[in-house]
Amino acid sequence: MANRTIPRLLQTPAIVLLLFWMLVPLSMTLFFSFIRYVLASTNRPEWTSPSISNWRGFGNYQYVWNQDSFWLAIHNSLLIVCSILFLTVILGVAIAILINRTFPGRGIVRVLLISPFFVMPAVNAVLWINMLLDPVLGLQGTAVAGANDLVALLRDAPVVGSFFSLWPQFEPISFRATQTSAYAVIMMVTWQWTPFAVLILMTSLQSEDQQQKEAAILDGASRWSQFRFLTLPHLARPIAIVVMIQAIFHLSLYAEIEIVSRGNGNKNLPYYIGELVNNNIGAASATGIFAVILANIVAIFLLRMLGKTLME
Amino acid sequence: MGRIVLQKVSKKFGEIEIIPPLDLTIEDGEFAVFVGPSGCGKSTLLRLIAGLEDNTSGDIIIDGNTVTQVPPSKRGLAMVFQSYALYPHMTVRKNIGFPLRMEKMDQAEIDVKVNTAATSLNLTDYLDRKPGQLSGGQRQRVAIGRAIVREPLAFLFDEPLSNLDAALRVGMRMEILELHNKLKTTMIYVTHDQVEAMTMADKIVVLQAGVIEQVGSPLELYRAPRNLFVAGFIGSPKMNLITGPLAAKHGATTIGIRPEHIDVVASGGTWEGTVSVSEHLGSDTFLHVKVAGFEQVLTVRSIGDIAVKHGDKVSLSPRLGELHKFGADGLRIG
Repeated sequence: MANRTIPRLLQTPAIVLLLFWMLVPLSMTLFFSFIRYVLASTNRPEWTSPSISNWRGFGNYQYVWNQDSFWLAIHNSLLIVCSILFLTVILGVAIAILINRTFPGRGIVRVLLISPFFVMPAVNAVLWINMLLDPVLGLQGTAVAGANDLVALLRDAPVVGSFFSLWPQFEPISFRATQTSAYAVIMMVTWQWTPFAVLILMTSLQSEDQQQKEAAILDGASRWSQFRFLTLPHLARPIAIVVMIQAIFHLSLYAEIEIVSRGNGNKNLPYYIGELVNNNIGAASATGIFAVILANIVAIFLLRMLGKTLME
Repeated sequence: MGRIVLQKVSKKFGEIEIIPPLDLTIEDGEFAVFVGPSGCGKSTLLRLIAGLEDNTSGDIIIDGNTVTQVPPSKRGLAMVFQSYALYPHMTVRKNIGFPLRMEKMDQAEIDVKVNTAATSLNLTDYLDRKPGQLSGGQRQRVAIGRAIVREPLAFLFDEPLSNLDAALRVGMRMEILELHNKLKTTMIYVTHDQVEAMTMADKIVVLQAGVIEQVGSPLELYRAPRNLFVAGFIGSPKMNLITGPLAAKHGATTIGIRPEHIDVVASGGTWEGTVSVSEHLGSDTFLHVKVAGFEQVLTVRSIGDIAVKHGDKVSLSPRLGELHKFGADGLRIG
């Protein structure tokens, strides 16, 4: 129809811009992933610039697939994302229910609860790893040292001394180590993102029907039953939204990992790609495509879950 | 069984007294209706009986036991809410069975009871649907089903028909009455609609500002309203209340005459007036007549359709035997 031409013409710049915005990086990544492309190579200088003559086929994919560190990165990505989701949802529900009651100073408490969300991720990581989790100078170090001093004091106490003399010296945990740095990341991101879950779940709690609660009270439902059969089903939808939004954000965590350990042992997928980009652009692009596939799998899985709760 | 006695029950929210101390007895098997304008405390009174609110003073006695300190679920009462308050994530079957499940009843036994209740309420076809897929009337039936399965000592209805359209309301009214005839359980029904009260109640409790204005059968209230408030509230259209010299002539401060007790006569009636509005319902005609010397427009109800229109002169003849007289304090005289 003729009268649709002008609206379409007017939409064109935006659509073209959007297409370029998405298609150019994606097709460049795809192209790089099929060629040999390294930034520094003294033996093969022709590989240092992108060219179709350096075609490698699925070689980059095969190379990445066979790297243990790639699988470690995927494993770490999933561990970090799933742990954060699990913790933020549980803490979010608990805190939202707790502050949904009326108590003096509720307004201030709510504002304070939301505030971690306004801290920049890098600042958050620096504060946690240096001021809280540092085994010597941080709160952790101070607390462990204090506990050790207390136990040492109690060893000399008259009655309970013999009991405390059996206690070992407490050792502070180094959260920059290979095995533990992922836990530090999980802790700090959980701290930062719990307010997000609280915010969304709290608004949902406020829309809960009070007459349903009263009906349940008359039906003999205990507090736990009311939570289990009324509140939790009511929260299913917002929980699905929290999980989906957070999964998208946490699959691309970077700053925290950089600051905690510089990828020492707990690289996730984005960090692994970031390291490859320093030299092997081809392999980095192939990993990037793997990351896109992983993100799509997660997204489809989450959309299904969300769709199911929305249908009900 | 379900005899409910309130003794000096009162309720304060903070400093504001919603219900001053009141006494009330509802006999076993009775259909009692609390009626009054919005904000009169009728719902609060029901919630006090249910235990959803704590009374500030006095005692509530159900079936001979003082239940003032007893939690709501242990009072043996079932309540039907205005918003139905169905559990949206559960099927109709689960909704009706919920109170039994909370009693930790055997699943097989629950199924039997739910099916019995569903059959009696014509809900068998909808058992596996969710409340969101039901119409208003069906939802209300589910809410009633959830109350029935508990086999309570008394049912409490909190404006259960207010969210239904007029035609459905009449139908549900009949269904609730049939239920009462079948179960013979005490029912307390809260409404602001005096027609519902008149048609359903064994005993009407008229409330205003937390105070019981009158308790009695529908016809007692109709024939002998205790005061001006009840006179104005019971009956539709409202009773004509006339003050001034005419009232003084009958030895009262206010006289009341119901619209159906004023006859339109060809000529020679007591009052002559001009019709301002005539409402033709077919079965009845409501006339609003301006009579010289009266401050208020008189409402007249004539049986059948009579051919009068705006501006017509009519002659009215009140049946003096049906006159209600009220003193300066608003109370009925004689």
